[in-house]
Amino acid sequence: MNAFIGFIMGPMVWISAMIFIFGLLIKFIFIIKEVREKEQYLLSYMTVRHSLRSICAWLIPFYPRSTRLRPVYYGVSYLFHILLFVLPVFLFSHIVLMDQSLNLSWPALHDGAADILTLAVILALVFFSLRRRLEPDVRFLTSVKDHLLILMVLLPFVTGFLAYHQVFLYEWMVIAHVLSGEFLLIIIPFSRFSHMITAPLTRAYTGSEFGHVRHAKDW
Amino acid sequence: MKQWVFFMVFILIMGISGLVFSREDQERLDPSAFETPRRPGAVFSHDGHNEKAGLSDNCALCHHVYENKQLVEGESSEDKTCSDCHGLKSGPENGIPLVRAFHARCRECHFDSGKGPVLCGQCHMKE
Ligand code: HEC
Ligand code: HEC
Ligand code: HEC
Ligand code: HEC
Ligand code: HEM
Repeated sequence: MNAFIGFIMGPMVWISAMIFIFGLLIKFIFIIKEVREKEQYLLSYMTVRHSLRSICAWLIPFYPRSTRLRPVYYGVSYLFHILLFVLPVFLFSHIVLMDQSLNLSWPALHDGAADILTLAVILALVFFSLRRRLEPDVRFLTSVKDHLLILMVLLPFVTGFLAYHQVFLYEWMVIAHVLSGEFLLIIIPFSRFSHMITAPLTRAYTGSEFGHVRHAKDW
Repeated sequence: MKQWVFFMVFILIMGISGLVFSREDQERLDPSAFETPRRPGAVFSHDGHNEKAGLSDNCALCHHVYENKQLVEGESSEDKTCSDCHGLKSGPENGIPLVRAFHARCRECHFDSGKGPVLCGQCHMKE
């Protein structure tokens, strides 16, 4: 058992981190290459200024008009995306593991705070899932796969929470936690989650078309 | 919907059984050398553990002595605590801070020997 745990908490972490980073990097390069070969004209009116302008405008909470029209959804969404990044990176247990293997450490969230924020993420995911069931026009665009992807994000948070509290089946909970976390990292480049890099590209394109061509704002 | 109800009931039962079958009292290491401990002290029954792990005549593996960063063979330091030499913060004079010293000594051997606890909660068991 220890050998298996050693593998999933050792080499497997690096393997999945590499797939995550290089998967996204290769995806990015391919997108740029495709645009260059097939849709060269897009690049002719893309500008750095209008791209950055649009990306920044959409990063400011409730600055774009459409986010103000649906404040609950976008509020939950902003909070969720920030926590999705902050929680795993600044979680104390994760930093202890990092310190152990790479002698690297940085300030950590207080465990009690992390615990409450974890619950907030879980609630946000339940909210997203319910919205996809209950709101007619979103429901129309939703397939089983969307719910499965939500589940994939949910799993590391639920299992991490239960493991931290050592409620039941502790060993199996940590194993499930580590595997679901690694699985999530691995599927990011190959799923809708790659909007991590494609969303800014979409903004850059739309921002340039609106700003440079039509002299309008896209937020 | 039915599956969800079953799932929730399952979680609830497991949770309650986890609370009811609380763990027996176990000998623990004292974490007070870490000014503000963030985990329950690690379970460790000194003599019993060392007998089972075959360390009874290798006290110096843990209670070691260093001089000028060189391990001194054949000498041991049972009269000192780990925190006497290993400070909390790493620095030039403190190559191996206290947490890393404990984890390196204990957890690594458990990985190498394939026996003993390696997950946070197996050592820092809830009280
Ligand atoms: C093999 C047993 C073992 C495992 C596994 C282990 N620890 Fe420890 N840990 C210890 C010992 C021993 C100490 C020092 C004595 C004490 O605090 O009980 C310690 C100390 C600590 C401390 C400093 C004291 C405190 O409470 O602030 C922290 C933090 C800590 N461990 C976190 C973790 C985390 C997080 C994990 C999982 C990633 C982990 N440990 C896994 C044995 C272990
Ligand atoms: C697996 C590591 C390990 C081995 C092997 C080991 N010890 Fe210890 N021992 C410890 C730890 C950890 C402590 C607690 C020190 C601390 O809190 O800083 C301790 C504490 C002690 C103390 C102080 C007890 C107290 O209550 O203050 C004595 C005495 C001691 N050990 C003697 C021995 C002797 C003799 C041997 C060899 C037969 C031995 N130890 C082998 C880890 C070990
Ligand atoms: C007499 C002082 C002293 C005591 C007591 C002491 N250490 Fe050390 N330890 C050192 C020094 C010095 C080093 C070397 C640090 C370096 O290389 O920068 C070291 C290195 C280590 C290392 C890394 C090298 C190795 O042996 O793998 C570990 C792990 C370690 N100590 C654990 C412990 C534990 C656990 C205890 C308590 C049971 C303890 N030490 C007690 C002085 C001490
Ligand atoms: C040189 C190897 C080695 C070192 C160092 C070591 N252990 Fe162990 N430990 C073992 C082995 C082997 C077992 C399994 C014993 C068995 O059940 O046969 C074990 C078992 C345990 C157990 C399970 C309960 C028990 O007592 O059998 C705990 C808890 C534990 N170790 C804590 C610690 C802590 C805390 C330290 C550091 C202070 C430590 N160990 C250092 C080898 C080691
Ligand atoms: C992106 C993936 C991951 C996310 C989102 C994540 C998130 C979390 C969360 C939310 C907690 C519980 C915090 C709390 O309630 O206080 C946790 C705990 C933990 N995580 Fe992760 N994690 C991820 C990946 C990993 C990986 C890959 C590992 C192992 C190498 C790991 C190891 C741990 C450990 C050991 C704990 C603590 C369990 C305990 O205290 O016993 N996590 N994680």
